Amino acid sequence: MPQRSWRPSTAVRRAIAGERIDLVTLLARRVVFVAGKGGTGRSTITAALALLGARAGKRVLAIDVDAKGDLAAALGSPPAGFTPRVVQHDLSVLELRTDESFQEYLNIYFKVPRLTRLTPLARVFDFIATGVPGPRDMLVVGKIAYEERRKEAGSTAPVWDLILVDCAAGGQAESHLAAAKAMLTLVRGGIIRAQVEWIDGLIRDPRRTTVVLCALPEEMPVTEAIELHERLRKGSGVAVDICVLNRAVDEPVSTATRRLVNALIDPENTAEIAKHLGGPPAPLEASIDLQASLYDTTARYMRQLRSKLPMPVVPIPFIVDRTGLTTTRAVADALSGRLA
Amino acid sequence: MSVAETGHVPERRRSVRKEPAGLGRRLAPLDVIICCGSGGVGKTTVSAALGMAIAAADDKRVLVLTVDPARRLATALGIKGIGAEPVRIPKARLRRAGITITGDLEAAMLDMKQAWDRMIERYSPDRATAQRILRNPLYQRITDSFVGSHEYAAIEALYELHDAGEYDCIVVDTPPSRNALDFLEAPSRLTDYVGSRLLSLLSGGPSRFGFRAMNFAAAPFLRLADRLLGAEVLAEVSDFVQQLQLLYGGIQARARSVYRLLRSPQTGFVVITTLEQGPFSEAEFFCTKLSEFKMPLRAMVVNRVLPDVFRDTGGVAAATTLVEDPKVAAWLTDHLHTRVSTDTARFVGRTFLNRHTLAQRESRQLSKLSRLGDVPIVRIPLFSEEVTELEGLVRIARAL
Repeated sequence: MPQRSWRPSTAVRRAIAGERIDLVTLLARRVVFVAGKGGTGRSTITAALALLGARAGKRVLAIDVDAKGDLAAALGSPPAGFTPRVVQHDLSVLELRTDESFQEYLNIYFKVPRLTRLTPLARVFDFIATGVPGPRDMLVVGKIAYEERRKEAGSTAPVWDLILVDCAAGGQAESHLAAAKAMLTLVRGGIIRAQVEWIDGLIRDPRRTTVVLCALPEEMPVTEAIELHERLRKGSGVAVDICVLNRAVDEPVSTATRRLVNALIDPENTAEIAKHLGGPPAPLEASIDLQASLYDTTARYMRQLRSKLPMPVVPIPFIVDRTGLTTTRAVADALSGRLA
Repeated sequence: MSVAETGHVPERRRSVRKEPAGLGRRLAPLDVIICCGSGGVGKTTVSAALGMAIAAADDKRVLVLTVDPARRLATALGIKGIGAEPVRIPKARLRRAGITITGDLEAAMLDMKQAWDRMIERYSPDRATAQRILRNPLYQRITDSFVGSHEYAAIEALYELHDAGEYDCIVVDTPPSRNALDFLEAPSRLTDYVGSRLLSLLSGGPSRFGFRAMNFAAAPFLRLADRLLGAEVLAEVSDFVQQLQLLYGGIQARARSVYRLLRSPQTGFVVITTLEQGPFSEAEFFCTKLSEFKMPLRAMVVNRVLPDVFRDTGGVAAATTLVEDPKVAAWLTDHLHTRVSTDTARFVGRTFLNRHTLAQRESRQLSKLSRLGDVPIVRIPLFSEEVTELEGLVRIARAL
């Protein structure tokens, strides 16, 4: 194996350091959608932003569109339901289910009582939505927009200061965000035209709504993040504030580290080293090699993202713990460490 | 820099040799191999490598049908691009990369729109019906977003290719589904949808008087839908589903033949997963469902497994000393004749222990795998470089 330089170039270090983000502005929005390919850590990022929002004194609602309970788990809570569940002071979680969203919608606007004679109606709706998902997407964004508009009883103050949305995987986020715009071309009349118009207005207002993209230092997640950004820009016209690169291996293998490892595995020293350390040093070399290689990969994808995306790209260090509140807190700290 | 030159993790060949015969040789007699697993587990790469291993094991004409638009796979296969037309992978190029294939290896990418259009043309009772459907503005949206539409297109393309009999073995890389079951359920779901009584209701039934003459029971819903959406939308939907119903007979018959093919002893499913929680539980679920559907699971491929070196107990002891012994840096400085700081010593120890934690978690997952079925389980070690060149793909093919 040829000798390679283990000291990362300035360009690599700069790429991996990422940029500072304006977290205050981000958390000052009304609705933040967190989108990305499956497995890119959307739930953890959504949960971390929710913690930061609550820490900043905002009343936060975190919405799980997939409703698999991942978001609640990332906040250390058992699965929530369609009714917001308080997981800590100023922070509630809601799991969005389109059937319940449909019932609520009918109840509010058409005075159709909940849970009465609705099953056949819901089935017909479900059936149509399987073929033409527009209405279902609309129920997702509709519910989110409804929560954004909700006011405290007898007051003009909104119930939530900040709504964070853990989007469904990949392309689905895009169809949710574009649903209102698509509906406008489809629905020329009818009672929902006006409703769709204000939902579309909310999504396209960069002061109120934004998207956070998630990626991993791997080919497909990076490519998909770049493509998703392009499609969001062209499709729904929603603003994208930052891109987060999760599981970034951002600690380089320094020259001193490499020198130490080389000395450890030097055949002349190995026996003595193994005796003193209580085990052979060879496995240590393997982990340092892997570290160096993953660092290079991270840097490569950081560069690619930064050259293709106009917004700041933020690496979040790889966290060994399983997903859960501890990991979420560590991610929140990593994010707030990048405060502008 | 080629993959072979870079510092890859030393890997113990032992883990690969556990298999009595290579997976390529075991699967070569099959006509159809369906690779399943959740997105991001390296399904496309493993499918391509599997095709390679089969072509190397036997004198077969092998086609890898992929749905993955990643250009890198084409690069990795040593060709410019993959389109709907199969492209042959040059044997000389493969030999240079370190694998000699006795058969033929070709790759093609699924063209979704084409697959759907052809399906409509095939099942329509006449050309006029086909044209009317193809021109309907809703059609495009449905082919794109009908639940399982990618899966259905993949199955259709597979069935046609198998029927044409040009290839001895077709390896299919399934679309990255939200739900791995979508692939298995796509044909019956489409049949149910097109044949459903609800759809007849919406399309105005056989009377064809249009929407208003509909079954009385649907009236409250339609009044509501009218108020919600406006009448025009419903009229468009109605026209579309009326046409679609004319296809029912053809679609139903095809679904039956497709399930026959999927259950055939000449077909095999290969479940691909990593040891991460999400993909792993999906793989477990999928294996259970395969046996419920009576579809033959032939092998499991576990991708990106951390090598055994990270499970080494001696390594753990050495790393722990580096992290915990406050005097270790001074001792190393003395004995190695090079200055070693406490931070550096700790970094080396911590880096190993982190990988060890992950490796241990993986071991626990691996031990669960054998419960899922009495099939060969092949582990592919984590190569620290991504597979971007033919050499990398060949390395995986060899591991198979």
